[in-house]
Amino acid sequence: MNKINENWLERNTFHHADFWDLIKLVEEKENKGLKISLCIPTLNEEKTIGKEVLILRSELMERYPLIDEFAVIDSGSKDKTLEVAKNYGADVYLASDILPEVGDKRGKGENLWKAIHQLKGDIICYVDADISNIHPRFVYGLVAPLIHRDEISYVKAFYDRPLNYSSGLRPSGGGRVTEILIRPLFSLFFPELSHIIQPLSGEYAARREVLEKIPFPIGYGVETSHLLDLYAMHGLETFAQTDLDRRVHRNQTTNALGKMSFGILQTFFNRLHAQGKLDRMPDLETFYRRFEVEEGKYHQLVQEVIEEERPPMIDIEGYRNRMASS
Amino acid sequence: MLCKNLLHSLNQWLMEIQEIDRETALSGLLDQIPERIKKISEKRDSFLTDTVLLGEIPSPTYGEDERIRAVVDRFRENGLSAPNIDEFGNASAHLPGTEGQSSILVMAHADSVFSREVRHEIQVGSGHMSGPGIADNALGLAAMIALPRLLDDLGIRLRDDLILVANSRSLGRANLEGASGFLETMSLPARAGICVEGSTLGRLSYSGLGTLRGEITLQVPSDYDWKRFGASGAISHVTGLINQIREIPIPKEPKTQLVFGGLRCGSSFNTSPKQGTLRFEITSEDDDIIGQMEDQLNEICEQFSAETGTLVSMEVVAKRQNCSIPFTHPLVKTTRSIMQEAGITPKVDPSTGDLNALILSGLPAVTLGLTTVENLREINETVQLDPLYAGMTQLVSLIQAIDQGICDS
Repeated sequence: MNKINENWLERNTFHHADFWDLIKLVEEKENKGLKISLCIPTLNEEKTIGKEVLILRSELMERYPLIDEFAVIDSGSKDKTLEVAKNYGADVYLASDILPEVGDKRGKGENLWKAIHQLKGDIICYVDADISNIHPRFVYGLVAPLIHRDEISYVKAFYDRPLNYSSGLRPSGGGRVTEILIRPLFSLFFPELSHIIQPLSGEYAARREVLEKIPFPIGYGVETSHLLDLYAMHGLETFAQTDLDRRVHRNQTTNALGKMSFGILQTFFNRLHAQGKLDRMPDLETFYRRFEVEEGKYHQLVQEVIEEERPPMIDIEGYRNRMASS
Repeated sequence: MLCKNLLHSLNQWLMEIQEIDRETALSGLLDQIPERIKKISEKRDSFLTDTVLLGEIPSPTYGEDERIRAVVDRFRENGLSAPNIDEFGNASAHLPGTEGQSSILVMAHADSVFSREVRHEIQVGSGHMSGPGIADNALGLAAMIALPRLLDDLGIRLRDDLILVANSRSLGRANLEGASGFLETMSLPARAGICVEGSTLGRLSYSGLGTLRGEITLQVPSDYDWKRFGASGAISHVTGLINQIREIPIPKEPKTQLVFGGLRCGSSFNTSPKQGTLRFEITSEDDDIIGQMEDQLNEICEQFSAETGTLVSMEVVAKRQNCSIPFTHPLVKTTRSIMQEAGITPKVDPSTGDLNALILSGLPAVTLGLTTVENLREINETVQLDPLYAGMTQLVSLIQAIDQGICDS
């Protein structure tokens, strides 16, 4: 791993506890004249949306005025998602009502994209609706690096997904799709991006000026495309990531993860094709990059994985001789 | 003689004026109740949020540290004076009054019956919230924390200091250790006290019930003679022991009750257990009866042990005396008036909780419940939000009444 990258991990990786002083954060936000919008994309989330709106609005709009606008953008829920969200004070929109002239497509990315048009903030923070242990850190942990550091324009969340507590040293990573699809792909094609600990996390905050310049896949590929497109435009320095500790959410079936992977692969190969990497394949990287965390510090582990190959047995003289003599 | 009569008349006249003043003050306060219920419902987000955030921190008795630290953080954020965690694990802070000659104590216990292993997740619906320990007592705790901001929102400045306490070690074996410890070391003189519980709206406790909580442990010794007549495992023996305890006569007057609250014995289908534990509680309006029943239980244990060759021991884990302030005490009368004006039907319910510690320390005190509750002490404990605003209003109004001297005896 080169020095610049190693330094990036240290400089641009935060923990939400770094930003505990919300009074100071609000002061700096006001000094810089920034407006922040919070957007929760929803589809049938009545079980968790009430708690998210209640806690985030009460803590981050009323107690500490960090958020200026709080919107729930819905894809046409059949349950009471909108009623519950409205009851606790969120501005509620149907994605289909925003920019009707461009039509209505069904998917989380559509809601995120239309939020750029509907919301007024200089910074937009996106938080998924299915977090059952919601806490204000899910928002202030993401917007704080953007408030403090002008050169950062996109902040991703990562979480504690403990796999092994007993040894004190534990691998740290994303979910199953991250570990078996995204990380190997990034290691092969975009090694620098493998510094993002959880590239698929659904919580991130970004400046309007970068969001308005990138396309949004409406389905599963939206998080991957953001990383690939912004990396191509601004390099690794535009990103930061914040450890938000534990996130409790629904577990997905393997079938659902397969569908998700299929969507992500489409997005990924479209980018490879657009960047000419598919037609003129570069030499593939042989270093596989993953993370481990020790005493609260994240380290990237780089492991050389060379998939050596043997020729067909029929090409081996010894084999042919044995077969001829038998 | 003439002078004495004159003085007596003057005194009576002064008392009548005082009574009229009190009634006028109370009437003014009652008039504001409907408007207050509305205002408090508009300001609900902050205390509903605290209910969720505090309720999601596990806080079993003797393991309240994290929840208590969160309470102290809130006290600080709300700008209260002297936020502190004392040697008993209680969190406390002051809202200074304009005069500060006296104080009003508001207490909510921070411990819960749920262990750390239970998933503490609160769900929020349109008109209700549910999760383990939300009513007992995350909601009471959040309501206590919310008081300074609510008083400010309602434009109420108290003359007395308001002392807010999140007390630890209240339930079960803790025997009110936190509340008693706080009261022993409290420096400011208090005018009255209020214990706040999430459950149940209409609750009016002004007396503490004499209580004895105990645990009887039966062990089959390693050298137990399994060939002796009537030999059996712990389950049969504990059953026999329960039958003998049930023979103890329990008087209807003074009201007395014996409840078996827990039984642990065995772990499989086919192995006779060697040990069993029985938990019980005796409550009675007469402390002597509790004492007599304790003696009888000890005798039964001793006799049962000798007759069966088992080892039976009884441990008293908590004991409280009866205590009360009169039904006619101005604090109780005023509370009833406030409840009625807020559309709450008072239900007199003697307490076995922190109220005992307050009244035994000489403080006139009541316990109030805040809203209607379902599935109390179950994982899906549920509090209704609509009745909560009347519940919060009664609490705020009672504090104001105490502050105005309406509840002084």
